[in-house]
Amino acid sequence: MIVALHQLTAALYLAAGLLAGVGLVLARPTLSRAAVAVLVAGACFHGVAFVAFHLASEPPPLTDLPASVSLMAFLGVLFYLALLMRSRLSALVAGVAPMAFLGVFFAALRLPQSEHAPFVGAASSWPHAHVLLASGGLASLAVACLAGIVFLAEDRRLKAKRPMSGRLRLPSLEALDRVNAVALVVGFPLLTLGVLTGMMWVEDTSGRFAAHEIWSIFAWGIYAVLVAARFRAHQGARQAAIFAVAGFAFLLFAVIGVGLLT
Amino acid sequence: MRVLVVGMNHRTAPLEVRERFAVAEPAPHLVKLVAGEEIDEAVLLSTCNRVEVVALTRHVEPARHRLRAFFHRDLAGEIPVQGAATLENLLFEYVDGPAMRQVFRVAASLDSMVLGEPQILGQMKQAYRAAVECGACGAILSRLFQSAFAAAKRVRRETRIGERPVSVARVAVELAKQIFESFDDKTALLIGAGEMIEAALEALRGEGLRTIQIANRTRVHAEHLAQRFHASARGLEELREVLPQADIVLSCTAGDTPILEMADFAEATRARHGRPVFVIDLGVPRNVDPGVNRLDAVYLYDIDDLAGVAAANADERRRETMLGEAIVLEEQQRFDGWLLALQAVPTIRHLRARAEAIRQAELQRSLARLTLGENERQTVEALTRAIVNKLLHAPVSRLRAEAEREEGLAYLEAARVLFALDDPDMPGAEAAEDSAPEGAPDRPLPDPEDSEGT
Repeated sequence: MIVALHQLTAALYLAAGLLAGVGLVLARPTLSRAAVAVLVAGACFHGVAFVAFHLASEPPPLTDLPASVSLMAFLGVLFYLALLMRSRLSALVAGVAPMAFLGVFFAALRLPQSEHAPFVGAASSWPHAHVLLASGGLASLAVACLAGIVFLAEDRRLKAKRPMSGRLRLPSLEALDRVNAVALVVGFPLLTLGVLTGMMWVEDTSGRFAAHEIWSIFAWGIYAVLVAARFRAHQGARQAAIFAVAGFAFLLFAVIGVGLLT
Repeated sequence: MRVLVVGMNHRTAPLEVRERFAVAEPAPHLVKLVAGEEIDEAVLLSTCNRVEVVALTRHVEPARHRLRAFFHRDLAGEIPVQGAATLENLLFEYVDGPAMRQVFRVAASLDSMVLGEPQILGQMKQAYRAAVECGACGAILSRLFQSAFAAAKRVRRETRIGERPVSVARVAVELAKQIFESFDDKTALLIGAGEMIEAALEALRGEGLRTIQIANRTRVHAEHLAQRFHASARGLEELREVLPQADIVLSCTAGDTPILEMADFAEATRARHGRPVFVIDLGVPRNVDPGVNRLDAVYLYDIDDLAGVAAANADERRRETMLGEAIVLEEQQRFDGWLLALQAVPTIRHLRARAEAIRQAELQRSLARLTLGENERQTVEALTRAIVNKLLHAPVSRLRAEAEREEGLAYLEAARVLFALDDPDMPGAEAAEDSAPEGAPDRPLPDPEDSEGT
């Protein structure tokens, strides 16, 4: 059931991504709107999957990598949909939906094992708090990274004085920069709390920091510098976009890459 | 029925001639045109780029002469337009297929000076409405215009012909929209004056820009412009002071050296904490140091950059015309089919009248020899009517279908010969005499704007 719901969600996210891509190339706003509707449908099924997850195993094994990646994709989609209510960002669904699809597809492939995996630290609430907060932080910073990539491409095009290629209709630089700022404002506190709860969790179990925890704290430190540069030193939008992309790449490596390598 | 278009446009006549022929009130002219024998229906389209009469007639030659005379006498009037021979050269003329095509192409803005401009469709609707209101436009031209409007909407929906701006001012606004999400909280700094700068400013104001500062060498001029645009006036010496507040800088002033240097913008962007600035430099020689574009968050476009984007957009519109032409051809063929189908109407009426006359004659003869009650008589009558209808159903349906094609005329001819429809001694000939096209509605179709929701 949970796997089937994940597969359905992945299919919907993929369909949303394809629709949005076609909508961008053909400059058909109706297709972009349809893509957003399909993304919303996917998010609904994704939510149902988590409810089923919860009912199947209480508390659910969110600390497993597939489940946490799926949760990150879910929160990322929710964060994007929340931003969409304030700004004209429907073109970004062409980036958000494929990212969410990859996360859910990965989870759907790996979930059968995780459903039977032993739940670590069931007696403590730190693992859950850690996964929820860190996933929320990562998801919003992923959206900041996506906005940063689009910003850099657009900035480069405008500086080179090239007309928009094909029928692309992307959000304005101002809107993309606002996404970056909001994502940092939301994502960094969540990430901070995620790191803190992670430290508590480690304290409750082994008491020793492994490579994943050390890299994550290092990544958090980098983000702290980025946030300070953005809001204290009034960093420009282009630098903020570069730092959002680089920072998220490092964070992804620290949180997922190190886990997979060790 | 034949369609005829006579007129002049931006390709055949210069502006000074077109403006003399422009018609502000078409109704009196249309009433006069359709009052004569030559023209059955007419629509007069008069815009800054064209004056055209679309007419429906049964006899092309007299109609052509009437329309040419209309341009010579009614529109040219007393004004000598470089001689009659010259006026003849300025007029174009299309008949039947090319005429219908002209109506479709004009509505779809494929014949416009600025390809894809949207105003022409509104102007055509206005011309059509005026013709309907004065009774000059009947069922067939109504159908032609409705089809042309539908084709125009399809061209706009299915091609990119109207998507990219082609004027420098609109290009500037489109670029600004790629940088800024909205304009109502933005400030524009206008340096100097000039038509293009005013056009760009007007376009930006149309998008919601409210706060404007105007700087000029002569403060009085700045104050004069500021009054027009509800802006605040500044002298050029205050430029560096107001630059950090400007999100959009529009510059077009005379001078041998740039009035805004790299250092000015470097300082301004620092003060703006990296918020973007869109600089439109329309000055020749340039007013802003081109190196400014290298600064983060400064996007500088000079007149050549904007003209380059406008030209690229115009090229894209031209490429889209092929798609538009294909749509126009498809819609025109559909209308053509409808018009051809009207030719089948008299033959079908005639055939039915003939069959009905024969049925009535044979029925009366048989009933006279029989002694039947009222119920039986009605049954026999219904029986004969059913037989006739069933026999005629297949040939009539086929005639209707075939008549929509050019080759369908052969079927109509065959039907007339096989059923001896042209023999005046055969029964039913009188009944068919006054047959009118049944496919054509008695009154013009409803105005398309009523159902467009545009």
